[in-house]
Amino acid sequence: MRHGLAFLGWAGRYLWSGWAGAAGLFCIAAAWQAGHELYGSFILPAPLETVREVAKLAQDEAFRHAARQTAERAGLGFTLSVLIGTVAGIAAGYSFAAMRLMRPMVTVILGVPPIAWIVLALIWFGASGGTAVMTVVVASLPISFAGGLEGVATRDRGLDAMARSFGAGASMRLRTVTAPHMVSYLFPAWTTTAGSAWKVTVMAELLSNAGGLGGDLASARALFDIPRVTAIVLVTVGFALFSEYALLQPIRDRLEQWREAGRPWGVKR
Amino acid sequence: MRLTLDRIGHAFLGRPVFENLSLALGDGEVVALVGPSGCGKTTVLQIAAGLIDPLRGRVRRHYRRHAVVFQEPRLLPWLTARDNIAYGLAAAGMGKAERCAVAERRAAEVGLFARDLDKYPAELSGGMRQRAAVARALAIDPEIVYFDEPFTAVDIGLRRVLQDLVIAASARDKFSALFITHDLSEAVRLAHRIVVLSGRQEGIVAERVLDGSPGERDDRAVFETVQAWAVDPAFADLFDGDRQ
Repeated sequence: MRHGLAFLGWAGRYLWSGWAGAAGLFCIAAAWQAGHELYGSFILPAPLETVREVAKLAQDEAFRHAARQTAERAGLGFTLSVLIGTVAGIAAGYSFAAMRLMRPMVTVILGVPPIAWIVLALIWFGASGGTAVMTVVVASLPISFAGGLEGVATRDRGLDAMARSFGAGASMRLRTVTAPHMVSYLFPAWTTTAGSAWKVTVMAELLSNAGGLGGDLASARALFDIPRVTAIVLVTVGFALFSEYALLQPIRDRLEQWREAGRPWGVKR
Repeated sequence: MRLTLDRIGHAFLGRPVFENLSLALGDGEVVALVGPSGCGKTTVLQIAAGLIDPLRGRVRRHYRRHAVVFQEPRLLPWLTARDNIAYGLAAAGMGKAERCAVAERRAAEVGLFARDLDKYPAELSGGMRQRAAVARALAIDPEIVYFDEPFTAVDIGLRRVLQDLVIAASARDKFSALFITHDLSEAVRLAHRIVVLSGRQEGIVAERVLDGSPGERDDRAVFETVQAWAVDPAFADLFDGDRQ
């Protein structure tokens, strides 16, 4: 009962903090509107016009299918890159040899321009979703890797020794000592990955002509349907906002409640 | 003998810390290990507690459970005081409800209030954190407790309280203890036996058995013992800061 109430209080506070975020978004919308009034509908459709276009597109079965396709690809790319990157990063953090071996590999992956990966993936996978997924994975894997590596490398050795003195095994120490510490390194990496997963998916789809929102964007551009272009951009941004503030942030907030406890009451967000 | 260190030696990066050090800990015995800063007291404790392996010599342990109280509280900042105190029990695989009950009992013994147990370490004062660290060590019913200068960072009044708490707990629970300190009066207050570690890699240079049991010595007796030892050459390292 008490836990339930505490959860409701937290959820209410989290939702309420959304107003501040909405204020920021409306500032962008205002600047957008100003740009529209300066340059006209053909260069930059008004925000309201774009929202109407989104509402219209939402009724369209083909568009819904394309959006779902993009969401699946971005989600799969995000999951794979986060999983592989984090696990490899943790391994590298624990083992000096693994770190020496993997660091240059990651630098190489980071050094290859994403556009080159798209070209390679096009040859390997053809015009399918695989191109987008692979591009997302290789483009954002190094971020999770670095997060996992830094998180493990900067763990508190004193706490680790304390846990060992109580006979805690390796898995318990990873769970209770290292993992909570890693959260503050991994979540920035994961939110960056989530954001770039959407962008890269749309880009890869557009270039590989593999359907999805990117494919839609390509055809809208060919038809000079500018409101449709801005509407697709808005949908993509909406997806990115949703994945960050509705999926990742609440988890982080729950996991890092102990940090909140250390703050004086006036500074709480 | 619950613990025997047999001619152990250790070095960090080729620099020897001590050689041929032998030390034994009897049942229910509290041994204070004193010595100047940097003489390897903490290294002896880490070897005894199995946190590091000695380069030479053998460690024989005739007990099942030990606990360590470190110089800093070393509480996990993401666990509440209750879960921190129960950490050792969780590591031993005890169920949630059972270990919470033990944690609450031990917390009361070290003077923590029930309302503080839901707080995170960041919300506790330094003294309360050290109390929680002591409770965490006592919670697992250890047969030996290793204290690594645990009360150096707390004020003089609280230090007395915490020392009394250790004296009472060791008398009640009959655990042995290796208590590391550089404060001779602290050593005299709570130990049965005092061992002096040399500041010049010479191992143990002196050993003194104190009269009576730890709780019985009054302040005057402690003061006089420390005064008498101040002129004793065996303790010269402790009082001479220039020697390093």
